[in-house]
Amino acid sequence: MAADQLIRRPSQYVQIRGMNARDLRDLSDGGLAAALGRGEVDALGELYDRYGSLAFAVALRVVGDAGRAEDVVQEAFLKVWRSVGTFDAQRGSLRGWLLACVRNRAIDSLRGRGAHEQAEVELQPEVEASGSGFDPWREVSRSLERAAIQEALASLPAEQRQAIELAYYGGYSYSEIAEMSRVPLSTVKGRARLALEKLHSYLAGRGLVTDVV
Amino acid sequence: MWSDHQVVEDAVAAYLLGAGEPGEADMVRAHLAGCASCRELAGRLSRAVGALPLAVEEVAPPGRLRERILAAAAAEPHSGARSSSAAPASRPPANAPIHLPKRRSFASGRRYERWLPAAAAAAALLVVGGAAGIGISRATAPGVAAAHYALSGSGSLRGASAAVVDFRGTGTTLVEFRGLPSVPAGKVYELWLIPSGGKPVAAGVFAPDGDGSKVLVVPRDLTGVAVMAVTVEQGPGGAAQPTQQPELSGSVT
Repeated sequence: MAADQLIRRPSQYVQIRGMNARDLRDLSDGGLAAALGRGEVDALGELYDRYGSLAFAVALRVVGDAGRAEDVVQEAFLKVWRSVGTFDAQRGSLRGWLLACVRNRAIDSLRGRGAHEQAEVELQPEVEASGSGFDPWREVSRSLERAAIQEALASLPAEQRQAIELAYYGGYSYSEIAEMSRVPLSTVKGRARLALEKLHSYLAGRGLVTDVV
Repeated sequence: MWSDHQVVEDAVAAYLLGAGEPGEADMVRAHLAGCASCRELAGRLSRAVGALPLAVEEVAPPGRLRERILAAAAAEPHSGARSSSAAPASRPPANAPIHLPKRRSFASGRRYERWLPAAAAAAALLVVGGAAGIGISRATAPGVAAAHYALSGSGSLRGASAAVVDFRGTGTTLVEFRGLPSVPAGKVYELWLIPSGGKPVAAGVFAPDGDGSKVLVVPRDLTGVAVMAVTVEQGPGGAAQPTQQPELSGSVT
């Protein structure tokens, strides 16, 4: 028996069930979530193809090491795979949920915490996903979205931006940020909340987020 | 209970960023349940938090990562999967790349008789509740499209385990190892499929990853196979037949 007969690539066995790749590419994120809910491994591959690079980038930004980032991304995708039954498209986007999983596992990897699970289920950020459905302009759309958010962040006062970035990417508590910044805790709290309010307003003004009805 | 709404709003932002103080999250959740204006605030701010990762410039991950993820997902039962119905024999590994073994032959040898009885006895140990460090379990009812089994280790492989998924009817079996110690220089692990009353059939050689995990994809189902076992053999190609007692094995019937 030849070596290549002994071991196959995953793509050869995940085809045993589920939709074909083209069908999956045509799905919106909501449709992809439904396919994941049916246990179609290929749907997980499509999810990875859509957001794997972004997920890896976020993990890398937090942990700063490619090997650890790979583990983080794997854990996050498997979390989605296992728990997609709890996903509620009415409450948020699949992309937002995935990225929250990535960020939280990255922080756990970085700082040895493990308390983010519940928040992931309860809070799925709802920035309008540009990856919904097959769209030849998806990359362009994402690029514009990224540029807009970068611009929004750049528009914040440095201390406000620093407060939310230390919390989000560094996993620091407000107390730790206050200590590092040598400012009162109440100041850090105010800065972070203001930063998020401004960021929301900026993005809402550009149609990138929708307000709660 | 908070009386100052400004304090609450700050705490909501901290909660969304995961930056609150210990115990604060429970208080925020309780408050949100009963406060519409703070729920509205949380909705707004969560959208802002959700935008933060979208500012990051994408970075292409290593090509192997996709395969790792899909292999690990395929190896674990999914609650909604049409072809799986049993609980996983073990959790998936944190790191599970696919390994491509070298070509090898299946010529029979003389030594298997020395350990085949031990492997067969391993299956019997399950019945009596496990003994001598070899624990074997079966976690799948018959008649399903995917059958799940577990291998466990003893001796020098105590602490090692493997989850086996036989995708019946597809000619594919996944073996997902965890907790394997690294092999000595020049040696490899070799996977064996042992039919009831027959000679072991080599199913591939491999070395575990740095974290002791490995996923093998064997292009056959386990029809007719009674025991799956692992031995340490001479690398790089392994042995034609096992040369030692298996210290990682399990029943696959």
